[in-house]
This record gives sequence, structure tokens and C-alpha cells, in this order.
Amino acid sequence: MYTKQTVIKNATGLHARAAADFVGLAGKFQSKIVIRSLADGGEANAKSIIMVLSLGLSQGSAVEIFARGSDEVAAVDALVAWIEENVDG
Amino acid sequence: MELKGIPASPGIVAGEAYLYSPQALPVQKERFPAVEVPLQLEAYRQLRQKAKRQLEALRRRLERQGQPERAEIFAAHIDILFDTALNEEIGEMLEVQHFALPWTIHQVYEKYIHLLRQAKDGLIRERADDLRDVKNRLLRLLAQAPEESLRALCKPVVLVAEGLLPSDAAVLDGGKVLAIVTAGGGATSHSAIIARGYQIPALVGVAGVTERVASGQRVIVDGLTGWLLIDPAPQIEAAYQLRQQQYATSQARSRAYLEARPCTADGVPLTIYLNIAAATPQELEGAPYVDGVGLFRTEFLYMGRQELPTEEEQVGIYRRVLGCFGSRPVTLRTLDIGGDKPLAGFSPTQEANPFLGNRGIRFCFGEPEVLRTQLRAALRASVAGHLRILFPMVGRLEDIHRAKGFVEEAKRSLEAQGLPYASGIPVGVMIEVPAIAIMADVVAQTVDFAALGTNDLCQYLTAVDRENAVVTEYYQPYHPAVFRLLRHVTKEFVAAGKPLCLCGELGSDPLALGVLVGLGLRQLSMSLASVASTKRLLAGLTVAQAERLAAAVMQMSDAGQVKDFLREELRGFWE
Repeated sequence: MYTKQTVIKNATGLHARAAADFVGLAGKFQSKIVIRSLADGGEANAKSIIMVLSLGLSQGSAVEIFARGSDEVAAVDALVAWIEENVDG
Repeated sequence: MELKGIPASPGIVAGEAYLYSPQALPVQKERFPAVEVPLQLEAYRQLRQKAKRQLEALRRRLERQGQPERAEIFAAHIDILFDTALNEEIGEMLEVQHFALPWTIHQVYEKYIHLLRQAKDGLIRERADDLRDVKNRLLRLLAQAPEESLRALCKPVVLVAEGLLPSDAAVLDGGKVLAIVTAGGGATSHSAIIARGYQIPALVGVAGVTERVASGQRVIVDGLTGWLLIDPAPQIEAAYQLRQQQYATSQARSRAYLEARPCTADGVPLTIYLNIAAATPQELEGAPYVDGVGLFRTEFLYMGRQELPTEEEQVGIYRRVLGCFGSRPVTLRTLDIGGDKPLAGFSPTQEANPFLGNRGIRFCFGEPEVLRTQLRAALRASVAGHLRILFPMVGRLEDIHRAKGFVEEAKRSLEAQGLPYASGIPVGVMIEVPAIAIMADVVAQTVDFAALGTNDLCQYLTAVDRENAVVTEYYQPYHPAVFRLLRHVTKEFVAAGKPLCLCGELGSDPLALGVLVGLGLRQLSMSLASVASTKRLLAGLTVAQAERLAAAVMQMSDAGQVKDFLREELRGFWE
């Protein structure tokens, strides 16, 4: 199991198009991936757009991403990097 | 018979009702034999592909018709269709429990619909409708039921339904729908949005309408007041027809001005901002026609709820509003509420004079956590646009300094967490307490901008509670003292080179507009409904004429004189 924390910096949080892109990226990995909101402990399967949307993550939300599987390190690193690079200002 | 609902799209129309109740889709709780599992899984995959093709066709059609936002809805439906969690569960349920496809789809989709309905954010709750729409599409395909009959309306009708989903809207023949009336839904429901898009009247929340109206019945839909009249008498219809004509004429004339740049007849430009109170898509529709938001009232976030809004929730909403206006300013007013109003988590207090009591910025100073959270949220959101912060009911210089102190403290706390905020955010105050209006020269040196709250200013100035029925006659917005005070404040702000905006009702009052311009005001903030008519009025006035009006009013002694004079001056303008 591999886990990392980060903060959503994207302008619109993890809504709509951003959520779809995030989920698309998560889908490329083998491992089971979960994104957890540190504010209220809500968890979602990072590959499900419905579940990710239901978390209602806005800019500034602190999250934890953890994965379990053969490519768990690559998965978590890639998703955290994606979140940190997607700053829409 | 009359039914009352919530007006969701303006206009008045009479016509024949068409009761739209989509066939209930059959969902039997039956099982298939275990040996059929691979067959059922394959059937599901093919069903999904069929639905995908339908959705793609819809999306392409809407894009061709120049409606990219509605097309986007169906792209999102395709995402839902292929959602990992949803599909895993459907697969599992088929493999393990062997329930028939319709039942399985129904069960799993409903579970996720329920999940989204629990969300605090209204925008996420609305996605539940999208899930329902996709579910219905899948079930329709399985039942081989035809796509809804809305596509093939043969004459113009008033559509009456429980509610409308995006798919309904997509096939709706816009030319044949006179109005939309739904039993459910609020101002932001799909029905409301569709109606406004087609610019036809709509009523939502008309309880029991699908039981009270039959297809073929004559109805009148009043999207201005919220009334639905069923089988109206001939004289009632005639009266409504007249109102309809008047409304249409006035709208047509004004609409021509909606997109215009606001300026006087001699080309002097003004700034017209929007007043918003709930940040609904309906309110924000005015965004393209104004120069920004002059007053973003935030009380809606705090009232009628069980809990105070969290910082996260506020950030999301503020970002959304800022994003609508791009580089144009959005002036967020901090919580302006009195201790006597119901506020989540607080028991209402009894004050002898709530109007002169613990309200506005005073209330917030007394509840620093509430103010701190709101300011942090506003600052966090500020990166999404051009934020201005406005403080209500400031009565003395000390209040201004203290409020600014809160802003600085909020900035420090964000810096400590590495959270960004925009630089150079203007901070201003409402001018509504007469003491601060009189000290306008000093105030102008201390703030970046100000907003004239003429409603409360008039109340405090003339010592009248306009909600007190006993003294209503004493509440006079045209009291000469009001105009004299406005002149004083305007002069000081012009001298100091600081922006001053008028955001009270007086700003959208056709009688007062000329005087305000003549006094030197160049920024007004109003609700969307008044924007076009204000621009139209401005275009008929030169600054010289406005100054003449203002000069005359300055010489008058009572409100009656002022009103009569202005009425005479404006006679014939609106014909």
C-alpha cells in the first residue's frame, strides 16, 4: 500500500471536467486507488467519476490518495503530480 | 381554478395544456438461470453501447445547433454510463445474484442516485438527475419503449409535468411549447433552465398540478406572479391578454438595450453592476450584460439552514461567482444580519431596537469565527477572479480599521498554510449609517471604494422603520435630505478619486435615475430585471439635463414636491 497527501489547487476544485480527467488518469493504473477527503473522511474509488464527484472537493481541500496493487507507487505519484500541476489559477 | 407555484421564467401565456407523464418503465424483480451469466453480461455491454450511440447522436445534434453547454450534458452522461464503480456493481450483481438486467440496473443506479442526493453542494445533488436520466434511457432501450412524445407535438401547448430531465429537454420541440409548468423543482431545476433558454414562461413547484390539469384544458400561465389559471372565464382571459401585450411591448423595447454599453445621450459612460442574492444560475444569467457585481449578498448561505456554511462550501460558491465575471469586479458583502434573525446555530436574541442593534459588521465582530471563516473563504476564492470585499453597517472609523484588521489576519492565516489569494483586493464599506455618510471625506481616505445602501440610509436618516405599518407614510425615499446627503457623499468620493456605487432600490428607480446621474454618480448596481430599462433611460438623458434635474431637486423642501416634479419631467418617456 502506498499513500500520499496533497491539496487541491485547481480553481474549480475536483468538479466537472477536472474530475473526468482525474478519473481517466486513475483508470490507466492496475491498482485499486482511493481518494480520501481529509476534511470529513469521505472516501471514493478514484476510478469512479460519480464517487469522486460525490466528495465535493473544492480548491484548498486536503486529500489523501492511496493505492494497493502492482503499480501503486506510480499510480499515487502520477495522481498527486496531476493534482499539483493542474492549477487553473 | 387557480394554483400557485414559483415563477421560474417570466412572461404570460394562455394555451392548451398537454399533460406529459412518461410511461412508467417496467422493472420486475426476477432472476435468470446461473448458466446465462455470460449472456446477460454481454447483453448489458451491448445495451450500454446502444445508449452511448444515442447519447453521442444527441450531443452532436446539439453541437450542430450551437448549444455546446447542453451538448456537454450528454458527454457527461456518457461518463456516467461507463463509470467504474457503477459498472463493477452491476457486473457483480449479475454474476452473483442473477437478477434480471432491468432490476439490476434499477437497483444500482438508485443506490448512486441516493448517494448524490445526500451531498451538501446543490450542484452535486443535481447530478442525481443526470443519473436518473441515464438509468431511464437504459430501461427504455431494454423495454424498447419509444423516445418520449415531446418530439412530436403537433400544436403549440403548455407543457405540464412532474418534472423534466435533460433528455426531455433535448427532444423538446421549442417551437411548440408555449410554457412549462412542473409540480416539482426549484428555480434551478432543469425545467426552469430550459424555459429560460427558450424564453417562455415557467412555473415550478406547483403542487398537485399533474392531478388537477388534463390535456386539452385551457390554462393561463403567469410567469411573473406564479399563478396558473385553469379554465379561466372569458373576462379573466381578456385581462391577461392585455397584461401579456403590455409586458411583451415593454420587454421588446427594453431588450434592445440589454446588450448596450450604458451611457448617457451625450456619450458619458456609466458602470452598471448586478445585485445578486443567491448566486443562482438564473441571477448569473445577467453576467454578460453588466460590468460586474456591485453587491453580492451572502446572507443566503447562513439562513434557513441547520448549520453554518463551512469554509469549503463558501469557497466553492464564491469561486463559481467570480468565475462568471472573469476580470470584472465581484463585490462580496460580508454577512449582514441582525441578531434577531434566525441564524444556524444561534438562538435569536430579543433586542428592543434591532435596527439600531447588533447587526451587520457589529454582529460579525461579536462572532469573530464566522467573519474569519467567511473572509478566509473569500480570499481563497479570490484567485478565480476579481474580488472586492464590502463591509456592512459600518458607523465609525474604528469599525473600518477593525474590519481591515480581520482581512489582514485572514491573509496571514492563509499564508501560514501556503494557500494563495489574489493581491491588491479592494476593501470597501456600505454607506448606510448617516454618521459615516457625513464623514464621507474621511471615509474616502480610508477605503478603496464604497457602496451606497440607500434603503437603509433612508431609514436611518429619516428615523423610519419601513416595515412598520404604522409609520409607512413617513418612509420617503424622495425626501430632499436623502438627495442632499447623496450629493455630499458623491462629491467627497469624486474629490478623493475613489469609486462610489449606489446599490439600493433608488438606483433602479426610473424617477430618480436622472437626479443620481446629475449629482455625479457614475456607478449603479441593480437586479437583472432593471438593467435593460436603466440603460434605455440613460440613453435618453444628457448629463446637462441630469444636472438640471439634480439642481432643481436640491432646491425643494419636501418629498411630494420632488416626486411631482420628477413625474412631470419623465412623463411620456415610457410610451
